[in-house]
Amino acid sequence: MSLLTPFKRASGLGTTSDGVKHWWMQRVTAVALIPLTLWLVFAVAAHSGEDYATVTAWFAQPFTTTMLTLFVFTAFLHAVQGLTVIIEDYIHHEGVKIAALIGMKLVLVLLGTSSILSILRVAFAG
Amino acid sequence: MKTANKRPLSPHLQVYKPQLTSVLSIMHRGTGVVLAIGTLLVTYWLAAIAGGAESFANANAILGSWFGKLVLFGWSWALFYHLSNGIRHLVWDSGHGFDLPSVYLSGKIAVGASLALTILLWLVA
Amino acid sequence: MAEFTLPANSVIKSGKTWAAPAGATRVKNFRVYRYDPDSGENPRWDTYQIDLDQCGPMVLDALLKIKNEIDPTLTFRRSCREGICGSCSMNIDGTNTLACIKAIDACEGDVQISPLPHMEVVKDLIPDLTHFYAQYASIKPWMQTQTPAPPDRERLQSPEDRKKLDNHYECILCACCSTSCPSYWWNSDRYLGPAILLQANRWVVDSRDEATGERLDNLEDPFRLYRCHTIMNCTNTCPKGLNPAKSIAELKKKMIERR
Repeated sequence: MSLLTPFKRASGLGTTSDGVKHWWMQRVTAVALIPLTLWLVFAVAAHSGEDYATVTAWFAQPFTTTMLTLFVFTAFLHAVQGLTVIIEDYIHHEGVKIAALIGMKLVLVLLGTSSILSILRVAFAG
Repeated sequence: MKTANKRPLSPHLQVYKPQLTSVLSIMHRGTGVVLAIGTLLVTYWLAAIAGGAESFANANAILGSWFGKLVLFGWSWALFYHLSNGIRHLVWDSGHGFDLPSVYLSGKIAVGASLALTILLWLVA
Repeated sequence: MAEFTLPANSVIKSGKTWAAPAGATRVKNFRVYRYDPDSGENPRWDTYQIDLDQCGPMVLDALLKIKNEIDPTLTFRRSCREGICGSCSMNIDGTNTLACIKAIDACEGDVQISPLPHMEVVKDLIPDLTHFYAQYASIKPWMQTQTPAPPDRERLQSPEDRKKLDNHYECILCACCSTSCPSYWWNSDRYLGPAILLQANRWVVDSRDEATGERLDNLEDPFRLYRCHTIMNCTNTCPKGLNPAKSIAELKKKMIERR
């Protein structure tokens, strides 16, 4: 039986004076992703069915390389931000939560880095 | 004094009526998770292109199969839904569109836009 | 993990049916959540068949009729019976509302009544609101000032500034919105929920209050404020037609503004 007062329970460990930055950055990446996503899906769709040489030549154009890199970077950042909130929402065990947060970030950083290196490799190696 | 944890928890998901607002909200979260997992697809596709003509052909064969197309179709709808409903959320974050008629109207527009954009994309592809 | 199912002691069993009196003409079934803390048994659904020709128009009328004429053990909160005290808030037909202003005719088929969702149940339709009230106390819901009040008159407020309190002062703290919010279900230990955040904003927007900065400091937290994901169940369910989601959005905007 806990003898904590209701007020003590409601106050918890206080505020972190944090949260606004995470919330704001999630919105910033969301706004950036609107044009990036629309460009990506329609550009890729327009190039579907083309042969390897044409696709790599398209990749190597500076505009394409820039947009692809920006898309991947922003999309992975946005995914990390979103999944962080979801994990915090549903996983309440402190240890499991921290493990899930770190694991999720490591996986997405790995995938994101790999994606960007793939783009650059095609862009610079032709 | 509270009778420690002996009290039952009242029913919540079990009784609460689903409504357009909450259903579109959980769909936003669901499509978000699907897209996060779908980043595997993006990474795979980019790696296939970086890998050379052979791996590019392999990836095209897999993504071009009926199963690959089905996954891509689902992925594209999830993307467009998350995009459309995300714009709806951004409008809310700016402090607008909170009266219930607007909330329902914007919800229907978001669903409609996601379907329209998906169809448009597959017409282009 | 957040628990999406009910714990073993909370699973609702089927209870008994109280048949309509002979000769009843317009019978409607009321399926009511019952929990008796003294019995040691799980909660149950009891069904009461009510003759609507012998009953007032509101769901609260039916509950009073059950308590007065059929089963005096049925326990629920009520006071003003006109939507101003906030006592008879409960889940009726799948959404939270006040029993006193919910018309029976507005419910299609059987009327299902359960306590406010995802709360500890004291008895029958009575949830334990202790934590909810403690959260309310934590936002210091009173006017805080440094400037002494003028000796000869009240603190003045322009009509425009007074207008900013609309959509806030009408709140009766019935907890319908907070207990309709899935985010509050999973994280009420740390998330303040729509009702308390609306009340917090009520003091933030009050032109006479001088503790705006401290109030926002007290909210700037990933859980206290930012568990709001704009699900909109709160605004959908508010029996007073208020818009807690909009108040929370205003708080989030202020957080950006002061960066």
